[in-house]
Amino acid sequence: MKKQILILPLLFFILLLIAFFYILVIERNPSEIPSNLLNKNVPVFKADSLIKKEKFISSKEFGNQILLVNFFATWCKPCRDEHIYIKRFSSNLNIRVVGINYKDDPKKTLRWLKNLGNPYSNIALDKTGKIAIEWGVYGIPETFIVNSKGVIKYRRVGPINEKIFKKINIIIDKINNEE
Amino acid sequence: MITYLGNFLLWLSLFFAIFQFIVCRYYNKYKFTKTATLGLLISSLMSFFLLMYAYIVSDFSVLNVFQNSHTTKPLIYKISAAWGNHEGSMLLWIFILTVFNYFLFKLHNKKNSYFVLKALETQAFIIVGFILFTALTSNPFIRIESEQSNGLGFNPILQDPALAIHPPLLYIGYVGFSAVFSISVATLALDQNEKILWHVYMKPFVLVAWSFLTIGIALGSIWAYYELGWGGWWFWDPVENASFMPWLIGTALLHSLIMVEKKKSLQTWVLLLAILAFLLSVIGTFLVRSGILTSVHTFALDPSRGIYILTFAALLGIYSLVLYGLKSKKFLNKNYFTFFSKEGSILFNNIVVIVVCATVFLGTLYPLLVEIFTNNKISVGEPYFNSTAVPIMLPAILVMGIGPILAWGKEDKIIFFKKISPIFLFSILVTFLFFLNYKSYSAIGIVGIFLSFWIILNNLLILIRKIKKNLLGMVVAHLGIGVLILGITGSSIWQIEKIIKMKIKNEIQIQEYSVVFNNITEIKGPNYVALQGIFTVYDDQKNVITKLTPENRFYPITKIFTTEASIHTNLFRDLYIVLGKGNLSDGWIVKIYHNPLVIWIWIGSLTIFLGGMISMKHNMKKIIK
Repeated sequence: MKKQILILPLLFFILLLIAFFYILVIERNPSEIPSNLLNKNVPVFKADSLIKKEKFISSKEFGNQILLVNFFATWCKPCRDEHIYIKRFSSNLNIRVVGINYKDDPKKTLRWLKNLGNPYSNIALDKTGKIAIEWGVYGIPETFIVNSKGVIKYRRVGPINEKIFKKINIIIDKINNEE
Repeated sequence: MITYLGNFLLWLSLFFAIFQFIVCRYYNKYKFTKTATLGLLISSLMSFFLLMYAYIVSDFSVLNVFQNSHTTKPLIYKISAAWGNHEGSMLLWIFILTVFNYFLFKLHNKKNSYFVLKALETQAFIIVGFILFTALTSNPFIRIESEQSNGLGFNPILQDPALAIHPPLLYIGYVGFSAVFSISVATLALDQNEKILWHVYMKPFVLVAWSFLTIGIALGSIWAYYELGWGGWWFWDPVENASFMPWLIGTALLHSLIMVEKKKSLQTWVLLLAILAFLLSVIGTFLVRSGILTSVHTFALDPSRGIYILTFAALLGIYSLVLYGLKSKKFLNKNYFTFFSKEGSILFNNIVVIVVCATVFLGTLYPLLVEIFTNNKISVGEPYFNSTAVPIMLPAILVMGIGPILAWGKEDKIIFFKKISPIFLFSILVTFLFFLNYKSYSAIGIVGIFLSFWIILNNLLILIRKIKKNLLGMVVAHLGIGVLILGITGSSIWQIEKIIKMKIKNEIQIQEYSVVFNNITEIKGPNYVALQGIFTVYDDQKNVITKLTPENRFYPITKIFTTEASIHTNLFRDLYIVLGKGNLSDGWIVKIYHNPLVIWIWIGSLTIFLGGMISMKHNMKKIIK
């Protein structure tokens, strides 16, 4: 009896591991942090636009149709990696994507978009990072789904990959059905 | 350039670590091992200093520097920024691992060769795991393609002297347990119980790890106290708990080792604690860095990191605990002892400490478990910990006062009670005087004050009488615990908080002091602008005690506001002022705290650290002999 006790630490440890792996892999993805802004209206802001002459005004951009808001920068490597998915959203699926260019050089961004293609319908320049703070952005890239009433429905921290691409599609379909 | 060199050094240290693993496992050659440990030490040291250099010269072609630094930052914070972020801190972690690795290697002599090489093999495995983790998921040497003129800045609440040295000290603590772990695994794997005095080798590492963990946690508390502006110094935050649990296990381990030394008993228990201390450190890292528990310590979140660390912890844990399950029965013995003896008191200390650790563990993980089973999000906070962990500790503290003076074997009860009764009565008297002075009564306060004087007086008495040199460190550390309890009790029971709106020239009374709001001015720091309130504090005779200048800082680069509390400290109390929001016409929100005895928390922690170091010096002599 006494000697069997000695494998108890192992059993306990394994149970703990199962719980941790379950949380990490299946139950919850830490990149999908429930945003404080979830189910709330998008923050109101005004900024220079990278590709249009007139100012980027949030009330004009949001609230007309479902769209994606993508925070990106040219200095961020994962942004380059997810760019292909952003393009798939706008060109293959006809979903409007609004870009917010975070703490970046406009000239570099224009060159970057010329090389990689521009999936964004409009791009706000967030030179100081103020817009990102208002949206509660942890780090870029970060992507939000905003519905046709201008309400934030989903948030993704980190780059979009194949799995997340599909997930976002499902969520957009669901929002479309509800509306 | 730096990024290429950094990556090269990182992979070079990986090469040396793998080399060390292979040499120790299959060849048992001293010469090769020397090359491996030295090569590992030098390459990891160079990669760490390379990153630090990149921060000092503000080389923004390195992504890590670009994301966490800025040219306007003061030099000391440029240096500390090297470990103030996830990637850089892993580099520091690896460097400290290799230092302990080298110390393990230094234990090597002809008689213990097998044993030390086995420990080095385990240590090499740990190092390989952490280097791979850093290189693959958290590489600090990633280049930015485009040129950057300046960095994004550094979270300003981390711009604090206590926090600059907090991570290195804390990591010496965590990582020190890796050597303890390796020694335990080597002992179990070789099961040469008789030939090798493994506990003699283990003890100095436990002492180093535990002492540095103590001081590291204390510095974290100091930072929270000065920088967060919440008036407190401990919040039972998951990250604080993650450091507190290995500390508790380390405490139990330190005391149990004495039993192995003197009585050859509790060996299986010690080997288990040695494994658990490091496993808890790694699991703590996992909890913090994976983001599955939310806390004030936010590191960049990345799911792949969490999975990696967890997998690595699983490998370490399953390997060591399987080994433990199979081999540890050889270390069982049947040395029974009576309860009323030194052994009894140590055993009692062990039980209590482990129960407290389990309680903290449960409280920390409970929200996660609830979420798995019910999908509800709950949070467990201060009330739980204060009402469970704190009372459980009380009897252990009482025993701590007499443990050192109890005899080994069996103690005669009557003689013993005669021996301790003067101190017991004297402690009651001091507690009584204390309360006459403070005129504030609370049951827990009475118990806390009594226990702290009980320990302080008992240990002072031992110090005054001549004591054996080998006990000096222990007595000093225990004295530190007594002082620490005094500070904890004072500041948590008698804290007075006033939150009011104050206009200029307004006055407020707190305890025997009156605080006058003189003025508010704008000031400019090296990389921030601030509103500074100027308050004058008078005592009841209208003498000026001090001027306090709390600030509201704004860092334009990172767009973050911070509050700088202004604190006046003396041996009896801290006066703590925080400036809130406001304007000239309506006034400002001002928080004023009267925190009794806080300074004794820091003095106590430092004394514990000193005690640990004195003990350490003594134990090193044993090994060198």
